[in-house]
Amino acid sequence: MASYAADKKHKRLSDNTKTSIFLSPAFVVLAIFFLVPMVLTIVIAFTNLALTGSQAQQLQFVGFDNFVRMFNDNQLYSSIILTLIFVFFSAILGQCLMGFIIAFMMKGKNSTFRRIIGIAVIAAWVTPEVVVGFAWTIFLGDSGTVNNVLTFLGQYLPFLPQEPVAWLFQYPMVSVVVANIWRGTAFSMMAFQTALDDIPTEVEEAAIMDGASRWKSVWNITIPMVKGTIVTNLLLVTLQTLGVFTLIYTMTGGGPSGSTMTLPVYMYQQAFVSFQLGYGTAISLVLLLIGAIFSLFYIKFLKVKI
Amino acid sequence: MNVSKTEKTIHHIVLVIVALLFVLPLIWMLVASVDTNAIQSLKIPDELTMENYLSIIQDPAIVRSFGIGLLLSGGQSIIVVIIAVLAAYPLSRYRASYKKPFLYTILFLTSLPITAVIVPVFQLFLLLRFEDNLIAVMFFLIGSALPYAIWMMKNFMDSVPIELEESAWVDGASVATGLRKVVAPLMVPGMFTVLIFTYTGSWGNFFVPFILLSSQDKMPASVTIFQFFGNYGLIQYGRLAAFSVLYTMPVVILYYIAQRYMSAGFSFGGATKG
Amino acid sequence: MKNIGKGSLIIFASTLLLAACGNGNGESTGEDTQNGATSGNGEEVTLDVTWRFAGDPDNIGDYVREFSDWYSDEQDEVVINPDPITASEGDYFSNVSLSLQSADTAPEILSQDTFMISADANAGYLVNLDDLVADWDEWDNFIENIKDGVLGEDGSVYGIPTTTDSRGIWYNKSVFEEAGLPTDWQPESWNDIYEAAEMVRDNTEAIPFSMNLASVNGEAVTMQTFQMLWYGTGETMYDEEAQLWNVNGEGIIESFSFIDEIMNQRNLGPSLSVAINQNYGSVIMQDMFPSGAVAMVLDGSWNMSHFVEGGTAEFDNPEDEIGFAMMPTQDGSGDGFITMAGGWSWVIPENSQHHEESWEAIKAMSTEEWQTRRAMKEGTLTVRQDSAESEEYADRPFVETATEALNYAHFRPKHDLYPNISIFIQNAVEAVATGNMTPEEAAEDYRNNVVDLVGEENTY
Repeated sequence: MASYAADKKHKRLSDNTKTSIFLSPAFVVLAIFFLVPMVLTIVIAFTNLALTGSQAQQLQFVGFDNFVRMFNDNQLYSSIILTLIFVFFSAILGQCLMGFIIAFMMKGKNSTFRRIIGIAVIAAWVTPEVVVGFAWTIFLGDSGTVNNVLTFLGQYLPFLPQEPVAWLFQYPMVSVVVANIWRGTAFSMMAFQTALDDIPTEVEEAAIMDGASRWKSVWNITIPMVKGTIVTNLLLVTLQTLGVFTLIYTMTGGGPSGSTMTLPVYMYQQAFVSFQLGYGTAISLVLLLIGAIFSLFYIKFLKVKI
Repeated sequence: MNVSKTEKTIHHIVLVIVALLFVLPLIWMLVASVDTNAIQSLKIPDELTMENYLSIIQDPAIVRSFGIGLLLSGGQSIIVVIIAVLAAYPLSRYRASYKKPFLYTILFLTSLPITAVIVPVFQLFLLLRFEDNLIAVMFFLIGSALPYAIWMMKNFMDSVPIELEESAWVDGASVATGLRKVVAPLMVPGMFTVLIFTYTGSWGNFFVPFILLSSQDKMPASVTIFQFFGNYGLIQYGRLAAFSVLYTMPVVILYYIAQRYMSAGFSFGGATKG
Repeated sequence: MKNIGKGSLIIFASTLLLAACGNGNGESTGEDTQNGATSGNGEEVTLDVTWRFAGDPDNIGDYVREFSDWYSDEQDEVVINPDPITASEGDYFSNVSLSLQSADTAPEILSQDTFMISADANAGYLVNLDDLVADWDEWDNFIENIKDGVLGEDGSVYGIPTTTDSRGIWYNKSVFEEAGLPTDWQPESWNDIYEAAEMVRDNTEAIPFSMNLASVNGEAVTMQTFQMLWYGTGETMYDEEAQLWNVNGEGIIESFSFIDEIMNQRNLGPSLSVAINQNYGSVIMQDMFPSGAVAMVLDGSWNMSHFVEGGTAEFDNPEDEIGFAMMPTQDGSGDGFITMAGGWSWVIPENSQHHEESWEAIKAMSTEEWQTRRAMKEGTLTVRQDSAESEEYADRPFVETATEALNYAHFRPKHDLYPNISIFIQNAVEAVATGNMTPEEAAEDYRNNVVDLVGEENTY
């Protein structure tokens, strides 16, 4: 016992060292290729750097000017709200919920059946973002599949549209949210699949035998058992969805009338279309802030384990 | 019997509908790629052809870009997995004083979009004379994928009980051996998940190579398909569909290979501990 | 595990090899300018020429390669290396702006959109050509108006124009016949446009009048639509001398009103799903207009390339089916007509090497012979007076009117914040077109946005 205690102490003393050794490759790469650019980016947010024009070579520090400008920028406020809407519906309500439901329904089914369903969902996930944007633009087009099906059924069911609906024009936010849910659900599905499969069926059976209704057993037994997964998944999916750019840009370009101009899209427009790098970068800091708030919320209130 | 038969049937039906809905947008692409006169609507081709695929495959510039993309993303994702495993181990097992701040910072920084960082990176590259350099681009991709990968990997590792390792140590194994023989095999599904996740991310990344590389012949497939879309996008549906299918293939194949290792599923730790 | 280990090592090693080879190649294609030794000992100099490649047909590429071959025959010291960038227009500008920053990435000769020149000059990216041009006798042969476009904010010459374009109203002659309108139509006021459009609406199935309205279509909305209207009211967007932005002019409201009349009040425009669409341009000009589904389109002269041999909507005798009219001013006053002019120019990046050799090559490409050849190949308008007068050039369909319009050309404001302000216009135009804002509200919106951006003291 004494030697074990001594070993434990020895281990604890060099924990820091060992950690450092293991972490060193990560540190090096992150430092050069991640942290330095990050710091530069944050610095640029306080300048008026531009891609071209007189501010390109002689940038000036403008302190908080960019941020003051943001206060008066209506587009920024609407971008923040659009981003939150996008994240709420496509990440939280969409991907996590759908992933959970699919995984829940798959539990206990035949493994070939599960695999086939799984592949269909995962095919969407592995498709590159550019292709997703393009495939959905065509899918929702005036003569795309959605309209074809709807107008066909519309002949028999009067409450359906009789003419093609310009989805990307009339319901742009809905379109990109759905496309994003389509794309990302697989990730949540896989996470929940494992978590749910790990729950022994005896636990559920016991609850039912005790007279609990089906819904109650799910709510009170199953969900708490996968709470860790739920929360971690929420966190990862939220952060990932905050940065979605290519999908929205290829489908709607941020329009019409800025109705899908989430922060990443707005940021791109400012930095690369208006060439205002300083301002664009400042906008991206807002995104960073939102990400931080979400993270803190999940960690503090939902107790994600670090 | 724990779940009623009706419920099971409903599950089956709903799942089938869901699967169909998921596959629908992609069906157009598959069908249009073999159609001589592809249009926007999903229709049965009057004439089947492999011409669309051939025109893509026979274009040496496109094939070259595929090769570059495979190496770029392949190299990147493998290195990311290795570094992430190494980093995740102490984060999962050890207590270090700077563990929490490190993890928080990593997490926090992942929400910054690449488009924000790209110009300072370009200027950094100019400074370090990395411009038009594929290896430097790969390392930048590694750097930007690491935070998320480390985070995911740590969670997977959390689910490997430390007791297993400890019993290995009791049996005389060193930490390194324990890592290799006990932890790693159990981490395989997790490692593959991170691999695929990272690979898919960089395979589809257009902006980074486009900005950081200047020679057209060093561009990976993500750039060439984007350019193709821009140039011929809405005029040659058939060719574009074929290009898209080919472009999606590598990730699908990768996933298929990984399936075997991932069939054990992956857990985010704490599943059974609530 | 072992397999994974081996596999990863192999992949890693191959990547290293490939990158090493790749980098080696990169150096020898002239990206790294060290291999092109300079003057004196007769060693070869390679000039990288960069332009924007936008898909087949690669007119500029053919032209550059043709020139390169000819140039190599003419002399030995300089080799032209075609090095295009494949990108959408916006991405091209970003890429170029970044590459202009360093000697390692800047090409020797660059094709730049004329409107970017003043910003690039301000950034110090371009070589000042004043002295070189003063010594060049061919400069007098260039169309005066066009020269204005290549001046920086300081009034110096920073580029040599290569192509230009104008904008006007394309009209479909078959639809006009059906509507009872003349087939050699030339409106002289906005009222003439309304009248013609109403006749089309009342007598045919075609959409009477279409223009770029969607904010996703970017600069096209500002340049092909709004400025064509606004400058036709006699006002300008920016007072170059006083350096003040026009935010209170009546012309602003009146231009928005035109859009409102066409789209909302008189029902003379396309449906919103056609107009507010990323693909508006190609759908209208390559499909709906040539087929007669649309009668009139306010758009650029370069669209002629669709209707001639090799184009996507080829006609045997384009001028029998299609007409191109100049855009009138609001009530025919002033010059009577108006067009915005754009175009591209050759510039010499400050950070490149071999400025002298680049200048010689540019001069060689700008002779009458090569200029005309370029305009013919690309279907754009030439920038030289003598080329414009050559028979084979003037014979091409629509060129006469398009070139005549150049006499009434205006250029966009030369100001670094122009792209930002242009976005305000695009959003406001779309809002009016969709009925979300009245013309007065849109003008107010534009005013507020500009004032917020540049400060009230810089507006009038």
